[in-house]
Amino acid sequence: MEAVGQAILVLPEGIQSDPNCSGYLPDCFIAVLQSKPDSKFTQQELPACKPILTPKWVVSAFMIIAIVFIPIGIACLLGSRDVVEVVERYETKCIPAANINNKVQYIQNSDANKNCTIQMKIPKRMKKPIYVYYQLDNFYQNHRRYVKSRSDKQLKSSKNENDTSSCKPENLATGGGAIVPCGLIAWSLFNDTYSFSLQKNNQSLAVNKKGIAWKSDKQKRFGKDVYPKNFQGGGLKGGGDLNVSVPLSEQEDLMVWMRTAALPTFRKLYGKIEVDLEANETINVTLQNNYNTYSFNGKKKLVLSTTSWIGGRNDFLGIAYLTVGMICLALAIGFTVVYFVKPRRLGDPTFLSWNRGPGSH
Amino acid sequence: MSGGWERLRGSRSRTTHDSSFHTPAPSRTVTLGRVQPQAPGHRTIYCNDREANLPVRFKGNSISTTKYNFLTFLPKGLFEQFRRVANCYFLLISILSMTPISPVNPVTNVVPLSLVLLVSLIKEAFEDWVSVIHGCIGLQALPFDSSFAIKRFQNDMVINNTLIDVLQNEKWVALPWKKLQVGDIIRVKQDAFFPADLLFLASTNADGVCYIETANLDGETNLKIRKALERTWDYLTPDKATEFKGEIQCEQPNNSLYTFTGNLIFQKQTLPLSPNQILLRGCSLRNTEYIVGAVIFTGHETKVMMNSMNVPSKRSTLERKLDKLILALFATLFIMCLIGAIGSGIFINRKYYYLSLDKAVATEFNPSNRFAVAALTLFTLITLYSTIIPISLYVSIEMIKFIQSTQFINKDLHMYHAETNTPALARTSNLNEELGQVEYIFSDKTGTLTRNLMEFFKCSIGGEVYGSGVTEIELGGAQRNGIKVQEVRKSSTAIHEKGFNFDDHRLMRGAWRNEPNFDTCKDRAFVLSIFIRNYLLKTVLLVLVAGTLIIMEFFRCLAICHTVLPEGDESPEKITYQAASPDEAALVTAAKNFGFFFYRRTPTMIHVRESHVEKMGKIQDVAYEILNVLEFNSTRKRQSVVCRYPNGRLVLYCKGADTVIYERLAGGNDDLKKVTRAHLEQFGSAGLRTLCLAYRDLSPDTYESWNEKFIQAKSSLRDREKKLDEVAELVERDLILIGSTAIEDKLQEGVPACIETLFRAGIKVWVLTGDKMETAINIAYACNLINNDMKQFIISSETDAIREVENRGDQVEIARFIKEEVKKELKKCLEEAQHYLRTVSGPKLALVIDGKCLMYALDPTLRVMLLNLSLNCHSVVCCRVSPLQKAQVTSLVKKGARKITLSIGDGANDVSMIQAAHIGVGISGLEGMQAVMASDFAIAQFRFLTDLLLVHGRWSYLRICKVITYFFYKNLTFTLTQFWFTFQTGFSGQRFYDDWFQSLYNVIFTALPVIIVGLFDKDVSASLSKKYPELYKEGIRNVFFKWRVVITWAWSSVYQSLVFYHFVTTSSASGKNSSGKIFGLWDVSTMAFTCVVITVNLRLLMMCNSITRWHYISVGGSILAWFLFIFVYSVLRENVFFVIFVLMSTIYFYLSVLLVPIVALLGDFIYQGIQRCFFPYDYQIIQEIHRHEPDDNTRAGLLDVGSQLTPQEERSYAISQLPRELSKHTGFAFDSPGYESFFAAQLGVYAPQKAWDVARRASMKSKPKTPKRN
Repeated sequence: MEAVGQAILVLPEGIQSDPNCSGYLPDCFIAVLQSKPDSKFTQQELPACKPILTPKWVVSAFMIIAIVFIPIGIACLLGSRDVVEVVERYETKCIPAANINNKVQYIQNSDANKNCTIQMKIPKRMKKPIYVYYQLDNFYQNHRRYVKSRSDKQLKSSKNENDTSSCKPENLATGGGAIVPCGLIAWSLFNDTYSFSLQKNNQSLAVNKKGIAWKSDKQKRFGKDVYPKNFQGGGLKGGGDLNVSVPLSEQEDLMVWMRTAALPTFRKLYGKIEVDLEANETINVTLQNNYNTYSFNGKKKLVLSTTSWIGGRNDFLGIAYLTVGMICLALAIGFTVVYFVKPRRLGDPTFLSWNRGPGSH
Repeated sequence: MSGGWERLRGSRSRTTHDSSFHTPAPSRTVTLGRVQPQAPGHRTIYCNDREANLPVRFKGNSISTTKYNFLTFLPKGLFEQFRRVANCYFLLISILSMTPISPVNPVTNVVPLSLVLLVSLIKEAFEDWVSVIHGCIGLQALPFDSSFAIKRFQNDMVINNTLIDVLQNEKWVALPWKKLQVGDIIRVKQDAFFPADLLFLASTNADGVCYIETANLDGETNLKIRKALERTWDYLTPDKATEFKGEIQCEQPNNSLYTFTGNLIFQKQTLPLSPNQILLRGCSLRNTEYIVGAVIFTGHETKVMMNSMNVPSKRSTLERKLDKLILALFATLFIMCLIGAIGSGIFINRKYYYLSLDKAVATEFNPSNRFAVAALTLFTLITLYSTIIPISLYVSIEMIKFIQSTQFINKDLHMYHAETNTPALARTSNLNEELGQVEYIFSDKTGTLTRNLMEFFKCSIGGEVYGSGVTEIELGGAQRNGIKVQEVRKSSTAIHEKGFNFDDHRLMRGAWRNEPNFDTCKDRAFVLSIFIRNYLLKTVLLVLVAGTLIIMEFFRCLAICHTVLPEGDESPEKITYQAASPDEAALVTAAKNFGFFFYRRTPTMIHVRESHVEKMGKIQDVAYEILNVLEFNSTRKRQSVVCRYPNGRLVLYCKGADTVIYERLAGGNDDLKKVTRAHLEQFGSAGLRTLCLAYRDLSPDTYESWNEKFIQAKSSLRDREKKLDEVAELVERDLILIGSTAIEDKLQEGVPACIETLFRAGIKVWVLTGDKMETAINIAYACNLINNDMKQFIISSETDAIREVENRGDQVEIARFIKEEVKKELKKCLEEAQHYLRTVSGPKLALVIDGKCLMYALDPTLRVMLLNLSLNCHSVVCCRVSPLQKAQVTSLVKKGARKITLSIGDGANDVSMIQAAHIGVGISGLEGMQAVMASDFAIAQFRFLTDLLLVHGRWSYLRICKVITYFFYKNLTFTLTQFWFTFQTGFSGQRFYDDWFQSLYNVIFTALPVIIVGLFDKDVSASLSKKYPELYKEGIRNVFFKWRVVITWAWSSVYQSLVFYHFVTTSSASGKNSSGKIFGLWDVSTMAFTCVVITVNLRLLMMCNSITRWHYISVGGSILAWFLFIFVYSVLRENVFFVIFVLMSTIYFYLSVLLVPIVALLGDFIYQGIQRCFFPYDYQIIQEIHRHEPDDNTRAGLLDVGSQLTPQEERSYAISQLPRELSKHTGFAFDSPGYESFFAAQLGVYAPQKAWDVARRASMKSKPKTPKRN
């Protein structure tokens, strides 16, 4: 019967018929509203700050942005300008004159001599380490078919060697065994090689290929017990080969390549030259032009770059900061001027629509 | 015997064991207002014979009011959810994303969909399980609070297990309700509820009557009488009742509470059954020891259960516009996909050998068939861009509105009426924002603008006006004319109680015994003039009626001629009168105060304690034998009682409309008639409601011969009511006029101020009333609806020309003529109106039209003209309109002018209007609950409209607009970044973001802050909202959700998405830290996503007008949630493996996180700055004006603003403008057309089919025994 008792509370029986015994409910009602801490909530009177976007605020906001952004922009720009970057496009230079009309055949011919030498002039002194990048163009590493054509599980541990379903069509070798590393990404591994020497004394510059991949890739993503298997064993070679005796966790070129780029034009780190290069020096680069970008008219570039605190050469951030800072400064001034020329008094009731429009009372 | 008449006190506890068995079955779609078409056929019930009933398999008596049970919850609930297009769409997308063509993992779409469904289902379950009491029939609004909420399921159990006495084996056996079956004979004791719909067989009351309270059905607390068929009166004891073997043939279960047709076939006789013999579940037995009845309808087939209280499902205009926006988004989506698809068809090429696009490649990438590639990519992209449709929008809006209505509207102290203990009640949460856009209010008069609190105010007895009170209307009129009206000093004789506000020293405290004394009462020039004119005759007259006799007749008539039931102690102080209408109670109360204290009623007697006889102070109890009651009905417009004095004198007392009474007066006494008629007009123009009283002495012979006819008529089986009326005509003639009463219908508190405020808010108020034109105009003046600065157009059917044609009686001719007249009038008025509109400072316009003209004006050919005219008018008063016409006028504006309309009313006759309007508001006041039950919102007082519209409605509108546009913006921005990326992936449909980023974007990272805005955003405080009602116009103009606004947001989205995409991708191309390492795709996209989340959340803060700590918590929490998520997630997942750590190890990350959001927001900031500085919205100026004031947390201060009536405007000018000599406005207030046809139907009287009959059936209430006045 307790349930019945509860229900008694519920029936507002006396509300209408009996004003004399309307006791419990209004008291309850008001008590609920006033005693509960959330009465401010139900009465919609929560304390609130009410920002009003007055011209003062607008101008000061612009000013603050300008004051903060311009120095940052200058710093970024300076940081970026500190970087010395040498870019050399070589994919056309490195085609022998005879093969200029059948570039694709040339590059696909494994017997052809792919050696090629180019010179790079150092415009400014470059402090070590000097990073060597290759830059590809019109290469859609972000194509949907390409991106998913890999098996992270397989890369991570030898246990998942056969986990290659996502790698089609580069999943199984002709013999039937799983390809390690499988998939189009690995299959199309970039395989141009570069070696550098100084022109003046023909001293060769060692390229350090260690430490070019992100630490997390090296330590956690690519397994120490995973060795290449059946790689590039198929009829058509998509790109570079891998040393079967080296575990994937040491194959940094692969790691770099497999961190697929966001855009069709991308750079990837090739190695580091740990020698300072003086200004106006010329460097001879002997390269193996193995990689086929001729099929899709992709450019290949070799990039030597130093870094500063901001990273590689990239003016964009600096310019953006500076531009935004400048725009804000201009806006601040503009707003101030306009506001003095044609002010609207704060809270001027004549601006109220019913005081303004015709036909209002 | 008389004990049965007393109603026991302490009713609270006894009604409570059963609080919501009448809770509706929400799954049904029937609403109270509409009557279902009846199922064909009838049911036959064998009483007291379970075996015979067995083959028919009637439904059991157990009920379940929950929408779902444990088994059906999931399928049913899911079905409900997938009726929404957005959910269906996402289901489709989810299925698509399972296929290989999808670029995204199924989680992308499945997770948000499941979360949205989960939240919706939890909400459903919550609403169902912890039900809101206000769903119950007849229950007043209660605040939604867990402590008040009951568990439906539990409650059903309690109800189903309540015990009831059932006849089994010649004994009453107590069985639970759920065991009850159709045909069972049961016994219901005093104060118990009826467990099912019963046929009333016998009662302990001698004459087979019982009294029931129907408060749970219609909210009326007065008792109703039910009477069993005479033939069944005996079956009261178990042994007798066992012998009862009747067969009931009756209609199939239906939801019409006030009709019942059936026959009882009993002892080879067929006895017709009427609603009078039916006791409905939900009612309770009163003043009767017990009754015996047979079960007819059980469980869900009972009438009350058939009346689902489902809130009428209305969708707000904003939501319909939202649908268009969603459609536009679909179109955008399609265009984006099409662009992508075409691109992919062009892009795909074997030259990209690294994609291995050999001959055997799947169709979606096969360059040999570019068309197929494009087609499949289209689907791919649809799944990819599905985020453009804000999946969580609907559920968010629903939650916001739910909280707005249950927490804000229902609990607002400013809309809480302490006297009646009624908080506001949002019966639906669909229409909150619609409240912010109302442009037209259609208001009922009685009970809405006026209090429906009738006070005996004045009277005219024997040609003399008594009562020194001055009505508000007179006061206003006097002030306008420059007459200083002194506050009438309350004399010591003044008595003011409920229903009685009368003071005249000539009548009070027995002073009337000294009347007539003409020297003391020449206080009114008006009366004086007539008085002087008729002085001689009047003296003669008064001599004729023997001095004070006429006054005594007056009081006796008041004390005897009524259908009121006294309740409580038989002392003048403690007694309460149960009357169907407050007028009746007021009249009886008046008699009491004059010394004719009606204290007891038995079926045959009325006991009056008269303190008049011979000497002052001497009290005598007189019992008048009531011989016949000739009931009120609308055709009769009068009510008579034949009574026998203890001394044998036979008198017929009659009260009714002046027209009908005057027709039946005896000849002679023309001057009294004239004077009284003048008084009637005077009362009428003062806004008072009048009734004429008359009597007739009957000689025993006359009476006997008449009574024979009466009994004959009464016992006739066919056309009984019609015959009764005819018989009544025989005796209700040669009446002698006594005088008239005048009852004041008080204005609701704060009505004029409220209307003034609404006007300033740009809302037009139309009054639709069943009252006469004069009364309506009076009230319109009193309410500030009309004033003398206005140009008034009056279209009335009460003109000479029309009357003349009417007198000729040719219906076709009348119709044609009136139509012509109306057309002429409309044309004239329209031309004039246009003339005024052209002039710059022309007067405001007002239109007054009566029901008859309206009927023709609503004709399709004239409708446009009427609409044109009325839309140009500031206020419109429609008088003498039927409920159907009320609805027609409402839909005229709703459909014809496409404006948002709100109807407010309190009575059953407003139901159709309330349902017709965009928003229906019921006054949860004194008149019953039908209006409330048909309404979307219920408030206690008209003045609360200010709060409801100007505060809650406006805020809700602003908030919902913000929520919608923000949802639009955030999803578009997000999807567009994805879209830009598509261009650089060879249109392959590669996703930019990780699956989980995309799936949680809507439901976690950006979900909460927008809800907080939907709940807390306030542009200006509540008091300022009311101080500057003009702010409301922004809602009427729909300033915040126009295509312009949407497009502005769309541009902002495009801009921001471009910033996100290009800034992040461009700046990330080179080595990003001093070790020269390069980012991959997922590093870049995570960077971009971080910027998107931060920006989108900060953008929300930028559009807030008030920022509470909840804003900070939710915005900060959302951004934090993203970081927490990515820290955990990037450790777990392969493709985004450690990206956040990689990112955060570079300085680039921090530079970008600072730069990109600020650049993205800069555009909006500049826009806002310029907009605010140079093109400010009104609310922004108000904010500025009051920027230094602390937010007044004491809105209470504003509470009493509404309580003072502003000085009344002039109104007798308008009355004088009326064709007074033609329209004898006498203030008679008996003949509300809505009730008229109701009574006709109720009593089976033949009444010509009226236009409003259709609406009536749905909306009328049962008043079987007592006349109802409006």
